[in-house]
Order: sequence, then C-alpha cells, then structure tokens
Amino acid sequence: MLKPKLISQVLQQATTGGVKATILLNPEGSLLAFAAQSDRDARIYGAIASNIWTIYSKHCKPEVGPLSFLMLECEEGKVAISIVSTMILCLVARDDVELGILKAKSEALTRHLEEPLSRVAGY
Amino acid sequence: MAEELVVHFEKLLTRVDGLLSAVVTDRDGVVLLRANAPNCSPPFTESALGCTFALASDQASKLGLKKNKSIVSIYGSYQLVQFNHSSLITTFVANSNANTGLLLELGSELESVTQVIATALHERHSGAL
Repeated sequence: MLKPKLISQVLQQATTGGVKATILLNPEGSLLAFAAQSDRDARIYGAIASNIWTIYSKHCKPEVGPLSFLMLECEEGKVAISIVSTMILCLVARDDVELGILKAKSEALTRHLEEPLSRVAGY
Repeated sequence: MAEELVVHFEKLLTRVDGLLSAVVTDRDGVVLLRANAPNCSPPFTESALGCTFALASDQASKLGLKKNKSIVSIYGSYQLVQFNHSSLITTFVANSNANTGLLLELGSELESVTQVIATALHERHSGAL
C-alpha cells in the first residue's frame, strides 16, 4: 500500500526555487498528500484546482483526446495541474518562476508517482 | 475596421505552426471575431470555449494569486491558450505539438488589439444608454 509520509517527502522535493506548494488530490478535490506552507492554503489550492480540471475535462471528446495538462498564469503566481494515474497533481509557484520549469517539475513528479499510484488506483 | 481585424487575425495564424483558430468572445461566449486556418475546423464550440474560460478564470482568481491572466489546456490532439483581456476573451486553438510559448507571446501582443475592441464596445454601450 502507499506510505503517505513518503509521498509528502517526494512532493517536498518540488517545493524549491519559488514553488510554494505541491499537492496530490483525488478528482473530487480531497487532499491525499501535500507540501505547502499551511494546510489551509493546500486545501484551497486543491479544491480550486480540481474544480478547474473538471471544467476543462468537459471538452474531452474522442477527436480531442484526454486532458493532460493545465497551466494557469495569474498576476502573482502560476499553477500547473496534471493527472497522475487517477489523481490530480497541482504545483503552485510564485510569479517569477518560469512556466517551463514548473511544467518540467510536474512531469518529473508524474513520472515518479505514476507507477505506485496506478497500483492502488483500483482500490 | 472589423474586416481589417479579421485579416490581421488571419495573418497571425500563419506565424505559428499548428495554430488552427483564433477567436475573440465576450464573457458570455458571444463570438466577436473569428479566424480559422484554411480547411481546418477544430472540434470545439467557440462560444463554449469562452464560457469555460470565464468560469475557470473566476475560480483561478480565488487562489490568492490575484487576477487570472491566462490558461493553457493541453489535450491529446489539441491545445487551448486563452487570455483574459479586460472584458474579452481571446482563444487560440492549436495542435498539441504547437509551440505553447509562442502562442503565449502572441496573446500578449494581441492585448492592445482586443483593448481597442473592448473600448469600442464600451463606448457603443454607453452611447446606447
């Protein structure tokens, strides 16, 4: 089974260089693990990220393909949202972090977590 | 002026490989301006794209990162790059392997153009009142 403490440690590795929070949540918006300054921030980011993911998922059609990545740019920060197995991974960063590095960190975490999370996805 | 804007947008489609469509809508999804690449009809309803962005952008503005400026969504075969330009929404529809960075730069360039449209709409609305 999964070790939640270890997942948080893996997510913590991405919260460097301006990345404020790294959150793993289920599609309903409930947190599985996070590395963030406060759990309140993590809950807010998680709830809104899952909501926005659901909104954009409605455009998925066979000819369009599945939604694989979302990037949000706000006045004071950037957010990258992606899918890992059946979970949603969300990275929130300061405005001075480039979108490319945020995407690269998201993809690295996805590659690392895909296999272990796929094993428990069926439960 | 509308024809000139459409021609300007159609020229933009040739600047980025894989860019299929550029649409300007208001926040209710009403299409103001549309340019499609020849022989291309992306499988998205243009008014739905505007409404989707308006909803998502309002949510994103509650993250505590101030106002949302743009959203990039990447699907299997397509990508959407959408911008919040005052009261208007600019949407680029492109192949998923198109250069996202170039599309983001293009959107920043277009902000002054959509500002002209937004101002004209505002003046017309004020005049009508």
